Amino acid sequence: MPMIELIPDGKSIGWMQAPPQWIFTHTVRFIGVVRVVIKDGEGFILIRKGKTLFYYFRHGRIELKGHAALDYFNSQSTIEFNLCKYTPEEFAQALKICNVEDQVPDNTAGSALPAPDKSPFAVVSTPFPEPAPVAEEPGAQRVPRPVVARPKTSVHTERDPVIPPQIILDEKDIRIIGQIKKLNGIVAISVFDEEQNIILMGDVEIEPLLKIARSLLSTTDKITPLLEWGSFVHMTLQIPEGNIIIAPYNDYYLCLLTTRTINIGHIRRILRDLQQDGEHV
Amino acid sequence: MLKEILNKFLIIKDVLAAVVIEENGEIIESIKSGIVIDKNLEDVISTVMLDSKTTAAHLGNAALSMVFVEYSDNFLILGPLAEEFFLIIIAKNSVNIGQITYEMKKNQDAIVSCL
Repeated sequence: MPMIELIPDGKSIGWMQAPPQWIFTHTVRFIGVVRVVIKDGEGFILIRKGKTLFYYFRHGRIELKGHAALDYFNSQSTIEFNLCKYTPEEFAQALKICNVEDQVPDNTAGSALPAPDKSPFAVVSTPFPEPAPVAEEPGAQRVPRPVVARPKTSVHTERDPVIPPQIILDEKDIRIIGQIKKLNGIVAISVFDEEQNIILMGDVEIEPLLKIARSLLSTTDKITPLLEWGSFVHMTLQIPEGNIIIAPYNDYYLCLLTTRTINIGHIRRILRDLQQDGEHV
Repeated sequence: MLKEILNKFLIIKDVLAAVVIEENGEIIESIKSGIVIDKNLEDVISTVMLDSKTTAAHLGNAALSMVFVEYSDNFLILGPLAEEFFLIIIAKNSVNIGQITYEMKKNQDAIVSCL
Protein backbone atom coordinates (compact mmCIF):
# COMPACT_ATOMS: atom_id res chain seq x y z
CA MET A 1 0.00 0.00 0.00
CA PRO A 2 1.39 3.47 -0.82
CA MET A 3 2.98 5.21 2.13
CA ILE A 4 0.52 8.11 1.94
CA GLU A 5 -2.34 5.79 2.69
CA LEU A 6 -0.61 4.31 5.69
CA ILE A 7 0.24 7.42 7.65
CA PRO A 8 -2.33 8.64 10.21
CA ASP A 9 -4.91 11.18 9.01
CA GLY A 10 -4.30 13.65 11.82
CA LYS A 11 -6.59 16.55 12.59
CA SER A 12 -7.11 18.91 9.68
CA ILE A 13 -6.40 22.56 10.41
CA GLY A 14 -7.22 23.81 6.96
CA TRP A 15 -6.61 23.63 3.25
CA MET A 16 -4.52 26.35 1.71
CA GLN A 17 -2.85 27.37 -1.50
CA ALA A 18 0.53 28.94 -1.18
CA PRO A 19 4.09 28.82 -2.45
CA PRO A 20 5.88 25.77 -1.00
CA GLN A 21 8.16 28.09 0.96
CA TRP A 22 5.21 29.23 3.00
CA ILE A 23 5.01 25.81 4.61
CA PHE A 24 8.55 26.02 5.87
CA THR A 25 8.16 29.52 7.22
CA HIS A 26 4.91 28.94 9.04
CA THR A 27 5.29 25.63 10.79
CA VAL A 28 7.74 26.29 13.60
CA ARG A 29 5.08 25.33 16.13
CA PHE A 30 3.43 22.69 14.03
CA ILE A 31 3.70 18.95 14.59
CA GLY A 32 2.07 16.82 11.97
CA VAL A 33 1.77 16.17 8.31
CA VAL A 34 1.25 18.60 5.48
CA ARG A 35 -0.77 16.81 2.84
CA VAL A 36 0.06 18.16 -0.59
CA VAL A 37 -2.00 17.93 -3.76
CA ILE A 38 -0.46 18.84 -7.11
CA LYS A 39 -2.57 18.19 -10.17
CA ASP A 40 -3.51 14.51 -10.01
CA GLY A 41 -0.77 13.61 -7.60
CA GLU A 42 -0.57 13.77 -3.85
CA GLY A 43 2.10 13.69 -1.25
CA PHE A 44 3.04 14.81 2.21
CA ILE A 45 5.69 16.45 4.32
CA LEU A 46 6.27 15.35 7.88
CA ILE A 47 7.14 18.28 10.08
CA ARG A 48 8.01 18.62 13.71
CA LYS A 49 8.24 22.24 14.85
CA GLY A 50 9.71 23.57 11.64
CA LYS A 51 11.94 20.58 11.16
CA THR A 52 11.07 18.79 7.96
CA LEU A 53 11.57 15.07 8.40
CA PHE A 54 10.24 13.42 5.31
CA TYR A 55 8.97 14.34 1.86
CA TYR A 56 6.82 12.11 -0.26
CA PHE A 57 4.92 12.49 -3.51
CA ARG A 58 3.04 10.04 -5.64
CA HIS A 59 1.60 10.41 -9.12
CA GLY A 60 0.15 7.25 -10.56
CA ARG A 61 2.81 4.60 -10.16
CA ILE A 62 5.59 7.10 -9.75
CA GLU A 63 6.72 7.65 -6.18
CA LEU A 64 9.14 10.38 -5.15
CA LYS A 65 10.76 10.44 -1.73
CA GLY A 66 13.18 12.78 0.00
CA HIS A 67 14.88 15.36 -2.19
CA ALA A 68 13.18 14.20 -5.35
CA ALA A 69 9.80 14.96 -3.78
CA LEU A 70 11.07 18.21 -2.30
CA ASP A 71 12.47 19.35 -5.65
CA TYR A 72 9.13 18.63 -7.25
CA PHE A 73 7.29 20.65 -4.57
CA ASN A 74 9.69 23.51 -5.06
CA SER A 75 9.23 23.45 -8.81
CA GLN A 76 5.64 24.58 -8.27
CA SER A 77 4.85 28.27 -7.87
CA THR A 78 2.00 27.33 -5.54
CA ILE A 79 0.79 24.11 -4.10
CA GLU A 80 -2.42 23.09 -2.44
CA PHE A 81 -2.03 21.55 0.97
CA ASN A 82 -3.79 20.60 4.15
CA LEU A 83 -2.12 21.05 7.51
CA CYS A 84 -2.99 18.02 9.65
CA LYS A 85 -1.95 18.08 13.27
CA TYR A 86 -0.61 14.89 14.89
CA THR A 87 -0.71 13.66 18.44
CA PRO A 88 2.67 12.37 19.69
CA GLU A 89 1.43 8.83 19.09
CA GLU A 90 0.35 9.60 15.54
CA PHE A 91 3.62 11.35 14.87
CA ALA A 92 5.59 8.36 16.15
CA GLN A 93 3.50 6.08 13.96
CA ALA A 94 4.11 8.26 10.90
CA LEU A 95 7.85 8.29 11.57
CA LYS A 96 7.84 4.53 11.80
CA ILE A 97 5.94 4.17 8.53
CA CYS A 98 8.35 6.55 6.83
CA ASN A 99 11.28 4.79 8.43
CA VAL A 100 12.60 8.04 9.86
CA GLU A 101 14.56 8.17 13.06
CA ASP A 102 14.05 11.56 14.55
CA GLN A 103 16.36 12.79 17.25
CA VAL A 104 15.19 14.83 20.23
CA PRO A 105 13.37 17.76 18.74
CA ASP A 106 15.09 21.05 19.03
CA ASN A 107 13.78 24.53 18.58
CA THR A 108 15.97 25.37 15.67
CA ALA A 109 14.35 24.90 12.36
CA GLY A 110 16.11 22.72 9.91
CA SER A 111 15.85 19.69 7.73
CA ALA A 112 16.69 16.17 8.77
CA LEU A 113 17.69 15.55 5.22
CA PRO A 114 21.19 16.34 4.04
CA ALA A 115 21.38 19.73 2.44
CA PRO A 116 20.76 19.46 -1.27
CA ASP A 117 23.08 20.93 -3.85
CA LYS A 118 20.68 23.65 -4.79
CA SER A 119 18.87 25.95 -2.44
CA PRO A 120 15.47 24.36 -2.36
CA PHE A 121 14.12 26.69 0.27
CA ALA A 122 15.26 29.91 -1.33
CA VAL A 123 12.59 32.52 -0.91
CA VAL A 124 12.48 35.42 -3.27
CA SER A 125 10.91 38.75 -2.66
CA THR A 126 9.41 39.11 -6.07
CA PRO A 127 5.64 39.06 -5.99
CA PHE A 128 4.25 35.59 -6.01
CA PRO A 129 1.76 34.89 -8.74
CA GLU A 130 -1.80 34.94 -7.58
CA PRO A 131 -2.99 31.36 -7.66
CA ALA A 132 -6.40 30.68 -9.09
CA PRO A 133 -9.14 29.65 -6.72
CA VAL A 134 -9.38 25.92 -6.40
CA ALA A 135 -12.55 24.26 -7.62
CA GLU A 136 -14.42 22.54 -4.81
CA GLU A 137 -14.71 18.81 -5.13
CA PRO A 138 -18.31 17.69 -4.85
CA GLY A 139 -18.96 16.16 -1.49
CA ALA A 140 -15.46 16.76 -0.26
CA GLN A 141 -15.22 17.13 3.49
CA ARG A 142 -12.80 19.95 3.75
CA VAL A 143 -12.49 23.04 5.76
CA PRO A 144 -12.56 26.27 3.73
CA ARG A 145 -9.38 26.78 1.84
CA PRO A 146 -7.44 29.96 1.67
CA VAL A 147 -6.54 31.10 -1.77
CA VAL A 148 -3.29 32.84 -1.13
CA ALA A 149 -0.71 32.80 1.60
CA ARG A 150 2.63 34.44 1.22
CA PRO A 151 5.71 34.31 3.34
CA LYS A 152 6.70 37.69 4.66
CA THR A 153 10.36 37.28 3.93
CA SER A 154 12.97 39.08 1.99
CA VAL A 155 15.58 37.56 -0.26
CA HIS A 156 17.21 34.48 1.23
CA THR A 157 19.47 31.92 -0.24
CA GLU A 158 20.24 29.74 2.76
CA ARG A 159 19.94 26.04 2.40
CA ASP A 160 17.71 25.54 5.38
CA PRO A 161 14.09 26.55 5.62
CA VAL A 162 13.80 30.29 5.92
CA ILE A 163 12.17 31.14 9.20
CA PRO A 164 11.48 34.83 9.51
CA PRO A 165 12.45 36.27 12.87
CA GLN A 166 8.83 36.93 13.61
CA ILE A 167 6.37 34.30 12.56
CA ILE A 168 3.45 35.92 10.88
CA LEU A 169 0.65 33.51 11.60
CA ASP A 170 0.77 30.34 13.58
CA GLU A 171 -1.51 27.36 13.71
CA LYS A 172 -3.86 29.07 16.14
CA ASP A 173 -4.21 32.09 13.86
CA ILE A 174 -5.00 29.93 10.88
CA ARG A 175 -7.57 28.00 12.89
CA ILE A 176 -9.24 31.21 14.10
CA ILE A 177 -9.34 32.68 10.63
CA GLY A 178 -10.73 29.42 9.28
CA GLN A 179 -13.44 29.46 11.94
CA ILE A 180 -14.44 33.01 11.06
CA LYS A 181 -14.53 32.11 7.38
CA LYS A 182 -16.97 29.30 8.19
CA LEU A 183 -19.50 31.68 9.75
CA ASN A 184 -22.68 32.21 7.80
CA GLY A 185 -22.37 35.20 5.51
CA ILE A 186 -18.58 35.46 5.42
CA VAL A 187 -17.55 35.48 1.77
CA ALA A 188 -13.84 36.02 2.31
CA ILE A 189 -11.40 36.90 5.04
CA SER A 190 -7.92 38.29 4.60
CA VAL A 191 -5.08 39.09 6.95
CA PHE A 192 -3.07 41.91 5.50
CA ASP A 193 -0.69 44.70 6.34
CA GLU A 194 0.37 47.88 4.61
CA GLU A 195 2.57 45.97 2.20
CA GLN A 196 0.90 42.71 1.34
CA ASN A 197 -1.80 40.19 1.73
CA ILE A 198 -0.65 37.57 4.20
CA ILE A 199 -3.44 35.09 3.91
CA LEU A 200 -6.78 34.99 2.17
CA MET A 201 -9.59 32.51 2.62
CA GLY A 202 -12.40 32.71 0.12
CA ASP A 203 -12.81 32.79 -3.61
CA VAL A 204 -12.32 36.46 -4.35
CA GLU A 205 -9.74 38.49 -6.16
CA ILE A 206 -7.39 39.75 -3.53
CA GLU A 207 -6.12 42.97 -5.08
CA PRO A 208 -9.48 44.77 -5.46
CA LEU A 209 -10.42 43.69 -1.95
CA LEU A 210 -7.13 44.90 -0.53
CA LYS A 211 -7.49 48.19 -2.35
CA ILE A 212 -10.78 48.81 -0.57
CA ALA A 213 -9.41 47.57 2.73
CA ARG A 214 -6.43 49.91 2.52
CA SER A 215 -8.71 52.75 1.61
CA LEU A 216 -10.72 52.14 4.79
CA LEU A 217 -7.52 51.81 6.75
CA SER A 218 -6.38 55.14 5.41
CA THR A 219 -9.59 56.71 6.73
CA THR A 220 -9.06 55.27 10.21
CA ASP A 221 -5.43 56.41 10.15
CA LYS A 222 -6.66 59.94 9.56
CA ILE A 223 -9.39 59.99 12.18
CA THR A 224 -7.92 57.93 15.02
CA PRO A 225 -5.44 60.62 16.14
CA LEU A 226 -8.31 63.11 16.32
CA LEU A 227 -10.42 61.00 18.65
CA GLU A 228 -10.07 60.00 22.25
CA TRP A 229 -12.41 57.08 21.97
CA GLY A 230 -10.03 54.29 22.95
CA SER A 231 -8.59 51.71 20.61
CA PHE A 232 -9.86 51.14 17.11
CA VAL A 233 -12.13 48.09 16.91
CA HIS A 234 -13.45 47.99 13.35
CA MET A 235 -14.69 49.97 10.41
CA THR A 236 -17.52 48.61 8.29
CA LEU A 237 -18.56 49.89 4.92
CA GLN A 238 -22.01 48.71 3.98
CA ILE A 239 -23.24 48.74 0.41
CA PRO A 240 -26.35 47.04 -0.98
CA GLU A 241 -24.33 43.96 -1.97
CA GLY A 242 -22.73 43.40 1.43
CA ASN A 243 -20.18 44.64 3.92
CA ILE A 244 -16.46 45.19 3.94
CA ILE A 245 -15.04 45.19 7.44
CA ILE A 246 -11.53 45.97 8.56
CA ALA A 247 -10.23 45.41 12.07
CA PRO A 248 -6.85 45.21 13.77
CA TYR A 249 -5.52 41.70 14.29
CA ASN A 250 -2.32 41.45 16.33
CA ASP A 251 0.23 43.39 14.28
CA TYR A 252 -1.90 43.11 11.17
CA TYR A 253 -5.43 43.75 9.97
CA LEU A 254 -8.35 41.58 9.09
CA CYS A 255 -10.53 42.33 6.13
CA LEU A 256 -13.87 40.57 5.94
CA LEU A 257 -16.12 40.54 2.94
CA THR A 258 -19.62 39.53 3.98
CA THR A 259 -23.11 39.23 2.61
CA ARG A 260 -25.63 41.91 3.54
CA THR A 261 -27.54 39.52 5.76
CA ILE A 262 -24.71 38.87 8.17
CA ASN A 263 -25.25 39.54 11.84
CA ILE A 264 -23.04 42.59 12.40
CA GLY A 265 -23.47 42.24 16.16
CA HIS A 266 -22.00 38.75 16.03
CA ILE A 267 -19.03 39.92 13.98
CA ARG A 268 -18.46 42.83 16.38
CA ARG A 269 -18.31 40.45 19.33
CA ILE A 270 -15.83 38.21 17.53
CA LEU A 271 -13.60 41.13 16.59
CA ARG A 272 -13.67 42.47 20.13
CA ASP A 273 -12.85 39.05 21.56
CA LEU A 274 -9.97 38.64 19.12
CA GLN A 275 -8.54 42.01 20.08
CA GLN A 276 -8.91 41.31 23.79
CA ASP A 277 -7.18 37.94 23.34
CA GLY A 278 -4.41 39.69 21.43
CA GLU A 279 -3.92 42.15 24.26
CA HIS A 280 -3.60 39.32 26.77
CA VAL A 281 -0.96 37.39 24.82
CA MET B 1 -38.59 70.38 13.30
CA LEU B 2 -35.27 68.73 12.36
CA LYS B 3 -34.09 69.04 15.96
CA GLU B 4 -37.22 67.24 17.10
CA ILE B 5 -36.52 64.34 14.79
CA LEU B 6 -32.90 64.18 15.83
CA ASN B 7 -34.02 64.14 19.42
CA LYS B 8 -35.62 60.76 18.75
CA PHE B 9 -32.09 59.43 18.45
CA LEU B 10 -30.80 61.18 21.49
CA ILE B 11 -33.37 59.51 23.71
CA ILE B 12 -32.03 56.11 22.71
CA LYS B 13 -29.88 54.80 25.54
CA ASP B 14 -26.17 55.59 25.12
CA VAL B 15 -26.58 57.85 22.08
CA LEU B 16 -24.35 60.90 22.44
CA ALA B 17 -25.07 62.91 19.32
CA ALA B 18 -27.07 63.05 16.14
CA VAL B 19 -25.76 65.23 13.35
CA VAL B 20 -26.98 66.13 9.88
CA ILE B 21 -24.14 67.22 7.68
CA GLU B 22 -23.83 68.37 4.13
CA GLU B 23 -21.19 66.93 1.85
CA ASN B 24 -19.25 70.22 1.93
CA GLY B 25 -18.71 69.68 5.65
CA GLU B 26 -21.30 72.14 6.87
CA ILE B 27 -23.25 70.90 9.86
CA ILE B 28 -26.92 71.53 9.13
CA GLU B 29 -28.20 70.53 12.53
CA SER B 30 -26.92 68.67 15.53
CA ILE B 31 -28.15 67.59 18.89
CA LYS B 32 -25.88 66.21 21.55
CA SER B 33 -25.61 65.10 25.13
CA GLY B 34 -22.38 64.50 27.02
CA ILE B 35 -20.14 65.17 24.06
CA VAL B 36 -18.62 68.25 22.45
CA ILE B 37 -18.64 68.53 18.69
CA ASP B 38 -15.34 70.32 18.37
CA LYS B 39 -13.17 70.94 15.32
CA ASN B 40 -11.58 67.51 15.61
CA LEU B 41 -14.90 65.74 15.67
CA GLU B 42 -16.14 67.82 12.76
CA ASP B 43 -13.04 66.78 10.82
CA VAL B 44 -13.64 63.15 11.74
CA ILE B 45 -17.22 63.30 10.53
CA SER B 46 -16.22 64.98 7.26
CA THR B 47 -13.40 62.52 6.67
CA VAL B 48 -15.56 59.47 7.27
CA MET B 49 -18.27 60.89 5.03
CA LEU B 50 -16.06 61.84 2.10
CA ASP B 51 -13.67 58.88 2.28
CA SER B 52 -16.50 56.38 2.54
CA LYS B 53 -18.24 57.86 -0.45
CA THR B 54 -15.02 57.67 -2.45
CA THR B 55 -14.33 54.11 -1.31
CA ALA B 56 -17.84 53.00 -2.18
CA ALA B 57 -17.41 54.57 -5.61
CA HIS B 58 -14.47 52.22 -6.15
CA LEU B 59 -16.82 49.32 -5.59
CA GLY B 60 -18.41 49.64 -9.00
CA ASN B 61 -20.03 52.94 -8.06
CA ALA B 62 -21.94 51.24 -5.30
CA ALA B 63 -24.38 53.29 -3.31
CA LEU B 64 -23.27 53.74 0.26
CA SER B 65 -25.77 52.18 2.66
CA MET B 66 -24.11 52.71 6.01
CA VAL B 67 -20.71 53.14 7.61
CA PHE B 68 -19.79 51.98 11.10
CA VAL B 69 -16.61 53.02 12.87
CA GLU B 70 -16.15 51.53 16.29
CA TYR B 71 -13.60 52.29 18.98
CA SER B 72 -13.42 50.70 22.40
CA ASP B 73 -15.41 53.57 23.93
CA ASN B 74 -17.55 55.09 21.24
CA PHE B 75 -19.18 54.32 17.96
CA LEU B 76 -19.96 56.37 14.88
CA ILE B 77 -22.64 55.43 12.37
CA LEU B 78 -23.05 57.32 9.15
CA GLY B 79 -25.93 56.92 6.74
CA PRO B 80 -26.81 58.84 3.60
CA LEU B 81 -29.99 60.88 3.68
CA ALA B 82 -30.24 62.45 0.29
CA GLU B 83 -27.80 63.23 -2.50
CA GLU B 84 -25.55 65.53 -0.48
CA PHE B 85 -26.68 65.02 3.08
CA PHE B 86 -25.72 62.49 5.71
CA LEU B 87 -26.91 61.57 9.17
CA ILE B 88 -24.29 60.71 11.76
CA ILE B 89 -25.01 59.12 15.08
CA ILE B 90 -22.35 58.99 17.77
CA ALA B 91 -22.93 56.65 20.65
CA LYS B 92 -21.26 54.68 23.37
CA ASN B 93 -20.40 51.28 22.04
CA SER B 94 -22.83 49.68 24.46
CA VAL B 95 -25.63 51.12 22.34
CA ASN B 96 -28.13 48.92 20.53
CA ILE B 97 -26.96 49.35 16.95
CA GLY B 98 -29.99 47.60 15.53
CA GLN B 99 -32.23 50.16 17.16
CA ILE B 100 -30.20 53.04 15.75
CA THR B 101 -30.12 51.71 12.20
CA TYR B 102 -33.85 51.03 12.42
CA GLU B 103 -34.52 54.61 13.56
CA MET B 104 -32.22 55.96 10.85
CA LYS B 105 -34.20 54.20 8.14
CA LYS B 106 -37.52 54.99 9.75
CA ASN B 107 -36.81 58.73 10.04
CA GLN B 108 -34.89 59.21 6.81
CA ASP B 109 -37.80 60.62 4.81
CA ALA B 110 -38.84 62.91 7.62
CA ILE B 111 -35.32 64.30 7.92
CA VAL B 112 -34.97 64.76 4.17
CA SER B 113 -38.24 66.67 4.10
CA CYS B 114 -36.70 69.18 6.52
CA LEU B 115 -33.61 69.81 4.42
